[in-house]
Amino acid sequence: MKKEITLQTRREFLRRTVLGSALSWTVPAFLSNTFSALQAEAAASATQITTGKDSTILVVLQMAGGNDGINTVVPYANDFYHRARPRIGLKAADVLKLNDNVGLHGALKGFKDLYDGGQLSVIQGVGYPNPNRSHFRSTEIWQTASDSEQVEKHGWLGRYFDNACAGADPAVGVAIGNQLPEAFFAAKPKGVCFSNPQNYRFIANGNETEESYKKLNELETSGPGMSSDDSAPDMQNSGGSIAMLPAGMPMTGGRAIDFISRTALDAQHSSDEIRGIAARVQNQSVYPNSPLAGSLKLVARLIGGGLPTRVYYVSQGGYDTHTNQIPTQQRLLQDLGDSTKAFVDDMKAQGNMQRVVVMTFSEFGRRVAENANGGTDHGAAAPMFIVGDKVKAGLLGNYPSLAPQDLFQGDIKFNVDFRSVYASVLENWLHTKSAPILGRQFPILQVV
Amino acid sequence: MLKPISSDRWNYSAAAHLLNRAGFGGTPAEVKSLSERGVDGAVDYLLDYEKIPDPTPDPEWAKPDPERMQHLADVIRHGTPEEKRQLQQEYQKQQRQRITELRGWWLQRMATGPRPLQEKMALFWHGHFATSMDKVRDAYYMWRQNDIFRRLATGNWQLLLLEVGKDPAMLVWLDQAQSRREHPNENYAREVMELFALGEGHYTEHDITEAARALTGWSLDRQAQSYIYRPFAHDTGEKTIFGKTGNFDGDDFIGMIVAHPQSAKFITAKIWNYFAGSEPSPELNEALAAELRANGNNFKPFLRTMFRSEEFYSPDIVRNQVKSPVQWLVGSVRVLETELPPPLVSWGMLRQLGQDLFAPPNVKGWDGGVTWITTNTLLTRYNDAQALVQGSLPPLSAGDFGGKGAGNGQKAMRALQRLRVGGVSVEKILTPEERDDNHAIIASLQNRLFQTNLKQDQQEALQEFLDSKAKMSDADILTAIRLMMSTPEYQVT
Repeated sequence: MKKEITLQTRREFLRRTVLGSALSWTVPAFLSNTFSALQAEAAASATQITTGKDSTILVVLQMAGGNDGINTVVPYANDFYHRARPRIGLKAADVLKLNDNVGLHGALKGFKDLYDGGQLSVIQGVGYPNPNRSHFRSTEIWQTASDSEQVEKHGWLGRYFDNACAGADPAVGVAIGNQLPEAFFAAKPKGVCFSNPQNYRFIANGNETEESYKKLNELETSGPGMSSDDSAPDMQNSGGSIAMLPAGMPMTGGRAIDFISRTALDAQHSSDEIRGIAARVQNQSVYPNSPLAGSLKLVARLIGGGLPTRVYYVSQGGYDTHTNQIPTQQRLLQDLGDSTKAFVDDMKAQGNMQRVVVMTFSEFGRRVAENANGGTDHGAAAPMFIVGDKVKAGLLGNYPSLAPQDLFQGDIKFNVDFRSVYASVLENWLHTKSAPILGRQFPILQVV
Repeated sequence: MLKPISSDRWNYSAAAHLLNRAGFGGTPAEVKSLSERGVDGAVDYLLDYEKIPDPTPDPEWAKPDPERMQHLADVIRHGTPEEKRQLQQEYQKQQRQRITELRGWWLQRMATGPRPLQEKMALFWHGHFATSMDKVRDAYYMWRQNDIFRRLATGNWQLLLLEVGKDPAMLVWLDQAQSRREHPNENYAREVMELFALGEGHYTEHDITEAARALTGWSLDRQAQSYIYRPFAHDTGEKTIFGKTGNFDGDDFIGMIVAHPQSAKFITAKIWNYFAGSEPSPELNEALAAELRANGNNFKPFLRTMFRSEEFYSPDIVRNQVKSPVQWLVGSVRVLETELPPPLVSWGMLRQLGQDLFAPPNVKGWDGGVTWITTNTLLTRYNDAQALVQGSLPPLSAGDFGGKGAGNGQKAMRALQRLRVGGVSVEKILTPEERDDNHAIIASLQNRLFQTNLKQDQQEALQEFLDSKAKMSDADILTAIRLMMSTPEYQVT
């Protein structure tokens, strides 16, 4: 069985990767040189090469700004809660009850439906030791899965790509947005990002321009690379060409240009493929009208079109509710629940739901006590949501105590390290060892 | 090591390399004029920039505003929630406008200013002491820090560490402003050793704890908007740092860092990497560090030796550096003799390309090198090239303009409709004779854009493109320029 996977992925590898598809084009010299090296690397990789249409898929959903977890998964029957939040505390009638103590924010109808359908797992009290209350730093900690005191260069998904996806298609990770999230930063950069598939392309004013662009970016290297003495046209007043620098100088400029040339090929391939899929595949459910919904719609189409992606990354912003929190959080959570539900319906209609898991995170929760402006300030632990057909549905873990004597500087204490959640998703969903990626072995939770 | 390059190897191409790296590149005429100075003259010209007057005025708000700070403090203390909210909104709006203006102001200095090396060093220090407006939240503080980077661009290492450490932006950025002897904050103590001056492995956790105690007292006077030493916050006890014990203060600690043998190695490796585009070999690093120490930790004589050295012009260095987004944008503007796009557009471009000035991703700064290049940023460079060359706007979306509310993005987009990008003038960059000959067009543009030639096949593709035009218009030539910029080769320098 294991062997079959290897063979299958080897074929996939040849068919889908830049190296494979380059075979049907003109193979640039540097590619043929690195081909065998990369192939060996892929074969030596401890886990299966992660391309293919049938693999499991993780969608990471960032709730940026620090979502107030306490008003999201609400301890509506808790006196301490109402005492700490006289103005913004949610009453029993305002929540969607999960049990006699805890309910979802009333706007999360989409999540309640998923919960009732056994597709939503709510992990309570997730955080990390020595919580940092800076957006920037805490986001970085979540993105790199580092300890609070340690600055880590690469992202946790980047390390997953490095460890488990050598030789995979560049589109093994897709982030919807203009920037690659820090979670994708890797020793060997991989993953593509774009906000609008229509702009993720070479924008040409005419077919000839487009043709010329392709030629300029696909050509086989002729000899040593850029320029050579005899082919150099006269440069007026130039005092000599660059070839008059130290003897034997390679004109390619070495590895930097090789890397960019490869990326140029990746860009050309993936932009054609992604735009093709985006134009061909239709969404099969009704989404709200929001940036998050737009991102998830795009992810659904790319999954439907068979892009060989293992990790998608989408983001929803605006959770930094220091003032007048009620209407803002209402709008954001409504959007979150409805968009996610629509995405699940879409996946179901495609027949892909059993392959997909959505995981949310936010850089921190918020202070237990409300502030003077009808909002909440930066806090620590908060719940995470995991959505999928194969998740262990229900409320997992315990709600952290809200009793004043149990708080740390006004915040609830975490009881699940977020890296345990990452480890569980890596091992039980993406089927790879988590310790090499997360730096050490975190306890595995039965969530997926 | 670090022997001067012999004069027979100094030529147009070497001068172009120097101008690309020690500055942001230039026109063929500028390269020619630099090459005619000889290597020593060229390096001196770039490095002794104080001789060239720089009349650029500072932004008019670039000064402390104690009255305003007092007003802010009053409202925060006594105002109603509504007043506070209103003031906060007003303040945020003002700061957004100022930081946009500041970004444009700095880019303009790089693109048209007379002292490219000074700006290039300022950009190095900004990436090195990577400080972000996201936390500092005061454009005046960001300007002040930028001014230190410019003033001490090629100055003394110890003086620079002291001035940067005691400057408001850094005091806020790494929380030194909040450090008290009862609760020393270790953030700055840690980063100054790990990221600014020594590197991991050259200090202990205990050194951090003790250094944080030494640094207590360095603080920020928020109303005066300047550094203040608070004797009552300072821990006067004995500390042990790097194995030495004494009643050290912050200045002592910085002095001990600079005296540490690793310090010169650390900073010269980083400077070499910035200008040469790769890590120095251990032997070269030793030589570079020795050179800095021999010059009393002053960067100017060190840079003079470095820019004249054989190593700097070696084959694995020349044309082997990925252009940073700023280098790409500013260099393109300089080499094409066009104008910098308006600040909002430049900002949008640089953000999309991954180098948002005054907002580096974290305290480590930009990773640089090949990490500038992703499929997305490469296509974005290719498309932005069209905007620069043809004067049409790049495909930006409202989200590119940040701001947490969508409203800011929408507003920026509306403002954008009224903006235009310069575009390239064909008469400026091609002579009439060149203009009439497709072969000459390609030769001339290659010389301008690459100072060398593209691959033969690429030249043929361009030739084909030009030959396909029955009657060549300026627009066709601009498209050819854009195509040349839409190559992997244009992304390196």
